[in-house]
Amino acid sequence: MKLALPSFLRTTTFKLALLYSAMFAAFSAALLVYLYYSTVYYIRVESDRRMDLEFEQLGNAYFIGGMERLSESVLERMTLNGSTFYYFLEDSTGTRLAGHFQRMPTHNPDLDVQTVYFDFDVPEPDGTTTVRPAAGRIVRLKDNGGALLVAFDTAQQTAIVGRIQRAIFIAAPIGLILSLLGGLLISRGAARRADELARTAEAVMGGELGRRVPLRGSGDEFDRLGQRMNAMLDQIEKLVESTRNTGNAIAHDLRSPLSRLRNRLEVALSEPMSKESAEATLSVTVEEVDRVLDTFNAILRLARLEAGAEGERVRMNVSDLAEQLAELFEPAFDEAELVFRSQITKNLMVLGDRDLIGQALSNLLDNAVKYTPAGGTISLTVARGPEGTVDLTVIDSGPGVPEEARARVVQRFQRMDSARTQPGSGLGLVLVVSVAEMHGGEFILADGSGPPEAPGLKATLRLPRA
Amino acid sequence: MHVLVIEDDAEMAGFIEKVLVEAGHTVDKADDGERGLEKARSEEFDAMVVDRMLPEKDGLTLLREFRDAGGTTPALFLSALGDVQNKVQGLKAGAEDYLAKPFAPAELAARVEALGRRQPGQEPPVTVLKAGDLEMSLLTRKVTRAGQKIDLQPREFRLLEYLMRHAGQVVTRTMLLEKVWDYNFDPQTNVIDVHVSRLRAKIDKEFDEPLLHTVRGAGYRLQG
Repeated sequence: MKLALPSFLRTTTFKLALLYSAMFAAFSAALLVYLYYSTVYYIRVESDRRMDLEFEQLGNAYFIGGMERLSESVLERMTLNGSTFYYFLEDSTGTRLAGHFQRMPTHNPDLDVQTVYFDFDVPEPDGTTTVRPAAGRIVRLKDNGGALLVAFDTAQQTAIVGRIQRAIFIAAPIGLILSLLGGLLISRGAARRADELARTAEAVMGGELGRRVPLRGSGDEFDRLGQRMNAMLDQIEKLVESTRNTGNAIAHDLRSPLSRLRNRLEVALSEPMSKESAEATLSVTVEEVDRVLDTFNAILRLARLEAGAEGERVRMNVSDLAEQLAELFEPAFDEAELVFRSQITKNLMVLGDRDLIGQALSNLLDNAVKYTPAGGTISLTVARGPEGTVDLTVIDSGPGVPEEARARVVQRFQRMDSARTQPGSGLGLVLVVSVAEMHGGEFILADGSGPPEAPGLKATLRLPRA
Repeated sequence: MHVLVIEDDAEMAGFIEKVLVEAGHTVDKADDGERGLEKARSEEFDAMVVDRMLPEKDGLTLLREFRDAGGTTPALFLSALGDVQNKVQGLKAGAEDYLAKPFAPAELAARVEALGRRQPGQEPPVTVLKAGDLEMSLLTRKVTRAGQKIDLQPREFRLLEYLMRHAGQVVTRTMLLEKVWDYNFDPQTNVIDVHVSRLRAKIDKEFDEPLLHTVRGAGYRLQG
């Protein structure tokens, strides 16, 4: 049977936490071992040093005053308050001269200097005795065959070492367990955050487009990832929404020409017609279908543009393009009895797609022709804009667009009602906005310079200068 | 002209054939890329119409291979993907012209007609263009009709030059936009019509027989 591990145990974070615990354990072990040995070593060195000092002082006494002086000195030290040493002095015959013990606890007469470990009884005030461990050194006095023992109680040292050992044996497993638990906790936290991201993605995939990653506000990498993901989802939702609206608008905008078409064909079917009237009906029908197709093409183009699939940006002279367009449109303005003025600053360069900028500018000029009554004025200006930009501005003397309607006219199919009777897909200004966006520019609508009842429209395509 | 049509959609192929036959051409058809390439290589055609999306071998590859092997038959590329990027790809692959679906029959006929005149070697370098009693000198940039001088703006001159080079053929508005103005976008307003009517005023107004005709639903034709 395969063991089903909880999901967080399979995560990278958990593996890292595990590795971290192992490393932590290894380091702690090394540290504890070092601590243990250095403490034990220190204790031994320290007691050796004090022992050396003791022997040096007692040796001095012996050197100055022989056995007698030594014996006195031992007695003195025994009565000294706070002395931690135990002494025993015997002569060559083994007779006790001074000291804490009745006899030499252990002795190898062949050695001049001997380190000894032994137990001794200490009488307690209540009459009992306790056995205490001791360590000491026996030195044979060369001239007279006597021997001196200096020893100290090792119980305290043993206790310290024992405590360290106990601490190590208790602390190590606790530390190990704690580091493991910490690792688990951290990795579970990380796994939970990752799960939140995954769950949000799943919910969105399941069609719940409004779902967002919950944020902690901590600004950590999960929060930042979540923020990015939320921003991405906002964008996607916006696009889906706009596609949905477009779908509805297309349906709405295409329904009337298609039903007109159908009616006309139906009439043509039901009535006997002369060849001429049949031809006339069919040619009108073809025109109608062409308009529907034009709208479709405009929609497709816009979609490709917005998806970033179209447009090749090169350094181009936007002044030249504007001049050519002015020349292209001028006869049409004449025909519509409009006064046309153009003021084009030479050699302004932008990084852009000639066809797209041309199309955008054409759309603006085309709009101006459509909405300006005969006798009106249209002007095209190309000039340096603020902060290294180029402003391509078309101003007409038509009715203008009221401020509250401006945001709407640049949306898909949102023509002003008065414009519904005009030919066109209702996508002209939308394309201008898309072109502006893809070039890192902007599209600005404002009132023209006419009187309040017909202020005209000032449409500016502002592009960064190259 | 003998035209090869490589198109997999039988209905579309039938439509193209009908349009071209009505325009006085003979048509041979192939319904996939492999067979189309084989035909283009083994027979002589004056022009070919190639669909972009084809089974076995897509139009771009077909055309590239055909050109790499030295084929010179002028080709018109047809595609439902009617945007500039695709157009550029088609022209790079060796097509002489590009037409996006859906297209008007007149547009197709006019463009195929224009293709036929492009055969390399068939067009000797000319310095004077003639159409009826209309004459254009490409060197002195003078235009006369029946010996009478006509003053033209530079753009009008280029417009007339294109019309004269295609005298007798139908030329569509889109063709004029592309070839005379070098625009691959649609200015929507009837700007081309206005330009043509201005030109017409200069070359036809004072003469009895009009040379520049409007072809309803298609474009213009300069009488040859």
